[in-house]
Amino acid sequence: METFDDYVDRRLIAPIETTSRRFYIFAGILLAIGLWGAFAWWTQLRRGLSVTGLNAPVFWGLYITNFVFFIGISHAGTLISAILRLAHAEWRRSITRAAEVITVLVLFFGMACVVLDLGRPDRVFNVIRSGNFTSPLLWDVTSVATYLTASTIYLYLPLIPDIAILRDRIRSRGWLYRPLALGWTGSAKQRRILERAIAIMAVIVIPIAVSVHTVVSWVFAMTVQPMWHSTIFGPYFVVGAIFSGIAAIIIAMAIIRKAYHLEGYLKPIHFTNLGLLLLVMSLLWFYFTFAEFLTTYYGGEPMHMVVFLSKTQGRFSPLFWTMVVTCFVVPFALLANRYTRTKVWGTVLASIFVEIGMWLERFLIVVPSLSSPRLPLTAPSYVPSWVEWSLFAAFLSMFILLYALFTKFFPIVSIWEIQEGREHSVGEVTSRVLSYLPEGEPS
Amino acid sequence: MTRWAMVIDLDRCTACQACVVACQVENNIPPADQSDSARGRGISWIRLAPFYEGEHGTRPELRLVPLPCMHCEHPPCTRVCPVGATMIDHEGIVGQNYARCIGCRYCTTACPYTVRRFNWKLPEWPAPMEEGLSPDVSVRPRGVVEKCTFCHHRLQVARDKARMEGRPLRDGDYLPACVESCPAEAMFFGDLDDRRSIVARLAAGPRAFRLLEELGTKPKVIYLSKGESGGDV
Amino acid sequence: MKIARREFIGLVAGAAAGAALGGSSGRLFSDALSSSNQPIYPPRGPEQFILSVCRACPGGCGIRARRIGNRIVKVEGNPLHPISGGRLCTKGQAAIQALYHPDRLRVPMRRVGPRGSLTSFRAATWNAAAAQIASRLRSIRDEQRPESVVLIRGADRDINTRVARRFLEAFGSPNDIPFDRGSEAGALALYLTQGVRATPAPDIRGADYILSLGSEFLEVSPAPVFASRAYGDFRQTRTARRGKLVQVDPRLSITAASADEWIPIRPLTHALFAFGVAAAIVEEGLYNREFVSERSIGFEEGAGGGLRAILQQHFSLERVAAESGVSVNIILRIARELAGARKGLVLPPQKGPLLGGHLYDHLAVHILNALIGNVDQSGGVLIADDVPIAAWPDGGLDPVATAGRRRPRIDGVGPDSMLSGDIEQLARALTTGQPYQAEVLFVVDADPLYATTMHGQFAAALDRVPLVVAFSTIPNDTALYADWILPEPHFLESWNVQTAPASVAFPTVSVASPALAKPLYDTRAAGDVFLDLGRRLGLEHAMPWQDVESLSHAEVGRLFEARRGAIVGTQFDAAWVRMMEGAGWWAPGYSSADELWKRLIESGGWWDPFYDHGDWSRVLRTPSGRFDFRPDVASKIAEGSPIAEGGLSLILFEPLPIAGGTGAELPFLQALLDPGYDEKWETWGEINPETARALHVRNGALIRVASAHQAIVVRARITERIVPGAIAIPVGLGREGGGRWAENIGANPLRLLDGAREPFSSLPDFGSARVLVSETTPSDQYAGKRI
Ligand SMILES: Nc1nc2c(c(=O)[nH]1)N[C@H]1C(S)=C(S)[C@@H](COP(=O)(O)OP(=O)(O)OC[C@H]3O[C@@H](n4cnc5c(=O)[nH]c(N)nc54)[C@H](O)[C@@H]3O)O[C@H]1N2
Ligand SMILES: Nc1nc2c(c(=O)[nH]1)N[C@H]1C(S)=C(S)[C@@H](COP(=O)(O)OP(=O)(O)OC[C@H]3O[C@@H](n4cnc5c(=O)[nH]c(N)nc54)[C@H](O)[C@@H]3O)O[C@H]1N2
Ligand code: SF4
Ligand code: SF4
Ligand code: SF4
Ligand code: SF4
Ligand code: SF4
Ligand SMILES: [Mo]
Repeated sequence: METFDDYVDRRLIAPIETTSRRFYIFAGILLAIGLWGAFAWWTQLRRGLSVTGLNAPVFWGLYITNFVFFIGISHAGTLISAILRLAHAEWRRSITRAAEVITVLVLFFGMACVVLDLGRPDRVFNVIRSGNFTSPLLWDVTSVATYLTASTIYLYLPLIPDIAILRDRIRSRGWLYRPLALGWTGSAKQRRILERAIAIMAVIVIPIAVSVHTVVSWVFAMTVQPMWHSTIFGPYFVVGAIFSGIAAIIIAMAIIRKAYHLEGYLKPIHFTNLGLLLLVMSLLWFYFTFAEFLTTYYGGEPMHMVVFLSKTQGRFSPLFWTMVVTCFVVPFALLANRYTRTKVWGTVLASIFVEIGMWLERFLIVVPSLSSPRLPLTAPSYVPSWVEWSLFAAFLSMFILLYALFTKFFPIVSIWEIQEGREHSVGEVTSRVLSYLPEGEPS
Repeated sequence: MTRWAMVIDLDRCTACQACVVACQVENNIPPADQSDSARGRGISWIRLAPFYEGEHGTRPELRLVPLPCMHCEHPPCTRVCPVGATMIDHEGIVGQNYARCIGCRYCTTACPYTVRRFNWKLPEWPAPMEEGLSPDVSVRPRGVVEKCTFCHHRLQVARDKARMEGRPLRDGDYLPACVESCPAEAMFFGDLDDRRSIVARLAAGPRAFRLLEELGTKPKVIYLSKGESGGDV
Repeated sequence: MKIARREFIGLVAGAAAGAALGGSSGRLFSDALSSSNQPIYPPRGPEQFILSVCRACPGGCGIRARRIGNRIVKVEGNPLHPISGGRLCTKGQAAIQALYHPDRLRVPMRRVGPRGSLTSFRAATWNAAAAQIASRLRSIRDEQRPESVVLIRGADRDINTRVARRFLEAFGSPNDIPFDRGSEAGALALYLTQGVRATPAPDIRGADYILSLGSEFLEVSPAPVFASRAYGDFRQTRTARRGKLVQVDPRLSITAASADEWIPIRPLTHALFAFGVAAAIVEEGLYNREFVSERSIGFEEGAGGGLRAILQQHFSLERVAAESGVSVNIILRIARELAGARKGLVLPPQKGPLLGGHLYDHLAVHILNALIGNVDQSGGVLIADDVPIAAWPDGGLDPVATAGRRRPRIDGVGPDSMLSGDIEQLARALTTGQPYQAEVLFVVDADPLYATTMHGQFAAALDRVPLVVAFSTIPNDTALYADWILPEPHFLESWNVQTAPASVAFPTVSVASPALAKPLYDTRAAGDVFLDLGRRLGLEHAMPWQDVESLSHAEVGRLFEARRGAIVGTQFDAAWVRMMEGAGWWAPGYSSADELWKRLIESGGWWDPFYDHGDWSRVLRTPSGRFDFRPDVASKIAEGSPIAEGGLSLILFEPLPIAGGTGAELPFLQALLDPGYDEKWETWGEINPETARALHVRNGALIRVASAHQAIVVRARITERIVPGAIAIPVGLGREGGGRWAENIGANPLRLLDGAREPFSSLPDFGSARVLVSETTPSDQYAGKRI
């Protein structure tokens, strides 16, 4: 294809054309963990959920924590990318794809967590056959399915021109790329339609994304359980989701950058900009957490206070204070500081802390409320079993593996968008900036 | 209309737990072994909930409250079920459809009384224990949630019997197993909408209260507190 | 879980097909998740209700078994039965789990290895068992030593126990050793004051105010369901009169939780407290003057100047308050409340079927009851009339038997002894061969090895007896040490004619026919075994019956001849019978013994609801014909006995589901030990937080509890439900037998005892032991070992 600048963007194609031994080893390890997870699942299928650490009253544990966590991460891509696109943030160009892929893949794992958690996974289709729409779980199914569809389209549309490049370049994989390219020629008309479609999807995807995590929060908030039944849970969960999502993008970018030598595409400025966003989210997260806990404390309702105290002073307090440190103290220190914020390692370190903290946050929403039921019912404290941990590890591995495989079939940085940026954006931004300024000649 | 309800007189109740075993035998609840019990996996549809009262360092008071499903008129559990496997019927009994339940345990977490139980593993009756199983109540498979049904199967039998005898159902025809067994005669059962029924009269008395009333679940298990009854019933 | 090969192949194939087909994965899934690993075949056949009587405890509840085809699917109370009133306790409800228990004995077992383990036993036939036992007995008779045969048995209201006693009598042994500790102290107190050999029957239903001095009557009364029903009525009757219950005890038991007020008291001071209340009542002149002056002796006169003087002299409120830890104000208030109540009733410390109380507690309580005049009053302490069939007509003794019966009892219990049976003394006798060597020991309806206060000696003693024969359904601890274990049918498989339990004031006879048409296993009722032995030994003159079934018929014949009482019926029927009998009429509603039999099978029992209050010649049989306040004993108690120092006071109790050392074998009951605690399937020790702090014991930690000669390991439960300076431990777990759900689960605190006797009588002392408590680990090497 004539518009392909072989010299400039060869690096974006390289991972697809050549695969190192290191990659195979890496994939092998991930696959092994995945297979171990399959064994764990088989064990669970055979012996039921008795192989977990769950009990009455802690009926939900790691699986539901992971469900919320994964669905949260899914906000990485589509939402961030759509917002940046609509805001015409030009620095987005090299990171949108990496982000969107996270969304599409992680949603599957989020949904799978729920299936893992079912006592009767064989009956999962009852949700469709006899769905009961008063159940927030069904709202979840609906909105996650919608989000998955929209995100997939939203990932796919900007992929088309790149697939066309690959179609023309890698003949041996024509069977894959030809149908997917949908006869893309790069004509002006096609480009106009594509840009239009992307723009529409970007608009549609944002409310859906917001709805997804709002609805996830409602799974909890619609019950009357202490410290679940809260009006701010919707926005609180959305903020948490975007927070963990951004952290996920930063980590993913850092790995891609290192593995595929894309330092030229994923520059420190990308990390710094995302780091700033992460800082904002960290502050927002803290604000919501503070608001949530302060209202509970002032309300002082005995049942709520039992849970409150179990988190802040009781048996969950080590996890709780670790969460505060990892979600707020450390990221704030790293990102408010110009020195660390402008370093790739600084933002990555902050992101790793955020992911740990956000996982703990999810865990601390699910488990403590269930551990202190309103009427006395005691059971041994919930300790996740090897099966639950194995499946968590397997899901993480399989997610990373699928992500890695994606990079082996499609460019993880959008080639055409980079080129478009080079060709059009500089001029466009100049004229846009000029349009913000008062008319007239400079004197 | 009929609204089935239970009254538990805490002044009569001796916390003997006969109701617990009566329910387990009646409803084919599998025996939990030592490790199930230790892991909080034993199933019982009614339990004695202990409430310790009194300040630290003073004489404690212990209140033991029999706790079956409240058969809430506004049940938080049924609303959240994604497949409608638990539902309230037109006579106020909150039922459970084991064949449809997907085992998501949303209802168990939504129930503020924590009276629902999950089948963590295959129910087992070491031979020949299965010979004592009742034919009236199905054995629940693994992976589904179960709970007190107000011994709904007994309603079916009572109705059939009344129909056969060509008469309407009378107060006392339909009694759950726990009520029937209670040695202190502390449990009562009947139609709350029938003003002459024993439960309606007791529920109208000054000692009547409901658990977690403030949640608006409107339980149909009504407790009578300790104290003078203040009138004949 | 094992996966059958076929099933596994099916699953693999299924998974592959599932991957290929995708769409139908749901079904393949459900195969993999097969919901039940055993097909549950619902019973088929006609539905029947068979009346019987529960034998899970001595409570004597009439029951109704629901049978479908040849399976029992539920046991419920017999609504017409005056003891159960259609209700059942945990144990009765769980009876079905015992009937279908996987570890039930199916055939007679003969021991071939060391005692103490079921693995030492081999299956045998009934013929072999009966032949071997009979030949041994025959040679003993030939040697003219019939006294060397010993029977340990439960309460004798069950027809099987009565046949066993009859056999022993006809054989010629005096060694009929009842093992019924729970009611011994109460019976003795009654004997000392009223001269009657009976168990007191407190009228809970009729009382207005109950002062329970540590009586756990809602858990471990001799008839738990009867007591619970009475309590329900005591609380809330249809006449808007609510009884008040005050519990005075070192421990907030389940009974105390039901009470209106729990008054903690130092261990071992119940008698002191009772006398303190008595002193206050006398001081304030609140006692029943009429009863005291008309019907009693020893109040103003007698040893030590009479009860009044003794109370004044020794039981000042200050002393009682100081020693019991209950304030003067509370003692005074309780005294006024009790004396002011229309029908006050004081209940003595009743801690369970295995834990005999202290005589001085029971005596003090009974004296207090008499002071407020509630002897033989409604709402007071009653004495049940004899059941017409209780005593059997003389069977006639041959010369060998006559001689044998004249020998002293091997456990040293004389005809006028304070004890009815003494298994600790028996253990010594078996070991030493003094006064004579025992050759054969039968154990019927009892588990003395579990319950003895001298476990080690008792186990060793069993080894000295050449032939030990134990009857059991699920082998109990004693059975594991026997030479033969003879499998008994479950009570739902057997005939029975049972008389009312102690503590039920009206004579009752319950009749049971087998609820299961065909017994599950090759079992024989103990009664049938003894009838068979009687035939083999030529003792038919004393026991002419073919089997327990025909004996049951004969018993009902005698009941018919008694010409009183009525078939059990509704409340209305009871009121009618009571009224008629009060007026001197008897309208039985049956005209022949056969008709009575038929109606008993249909209704479950016979009773005589008429109670003649204040029949003084019946209830006051002291030489003076008056109630004797026993100032002699009171002054002894006043001197007090030194309370041992050091360590913690050991308080034992029996939770209802495992009371009497039975129940732990059923998983439903193991999960219900105390609804106030989380401990299930294990033994715990309750310690006050203050004491725990001093001992550095944490809640939930394993602790070693050591007496002077043995230690057990239990779980610490730090709770304010127990007073400082004590540890309370439940009895009922820690069994050697009892099947898979009881063996080696929990610990048996009776092992901490050393056969001590209480100071004022020769009753075993379950309350004075002191123990040392410290945290330990699961691998405690001292656990269960003698120190
Ligand atoms: N008197 C009276 N009779 C009635 C009715 C009434 O109202 N009154 N109602 C009628 C009605 S509506 C119905 S639907 C029928 C119901 O009558 P049944 O069809 O007999 O239904 P269940 O009582 O549920 O018994 C089903 C059996 O399946 C077993 N089972 C449970 N799960 C499984 C499994 O996964 N696999 C296998 N193989 N077995 C399993 C159970 O142990 C049980 O024995 O009764 C009818 N009969
Ligand atoms: N514990 C336990 N629970 C169970 C079951 C069990 O075996 N055990 N079985 C389950 C099963 S299989 C079923 S089908 C359900 C049955 O549960 P329900 O559907 O509640 O069945 P019924 O108890 O027969 O109640 C039906 C009602 O309809 C009324 N009715 C009768 N004829 C008419 C009519 O012509 N019109 C109208 N409007 N009303 C009418 C009757 O008076 C009665 O009130 O119970 C389920 N629940
Ligand atoms: S008590 Fe719980 S399970 Fe029962 S109806 Fe109410 S919410 Fe549902
Ligand atoms: S566990 Fe079953 S009944 Fe409960 S909400 Fe889920 S599907 Fe419904
Ligand atoms: S009503 Fe029936 S199902 Fe409910 S607790 Fe009582 S016995 Fe159990
Ligand atoms: S059976 Fe009756 S007295 Fe016993 S715990 Fe249950 S409600 Fe209370
Ligand atoms: S009180 Fe005794 S006799 Fe009555 S049901 Fe309970 S165990 Fe059986
Ligand atoms: Mo049905």
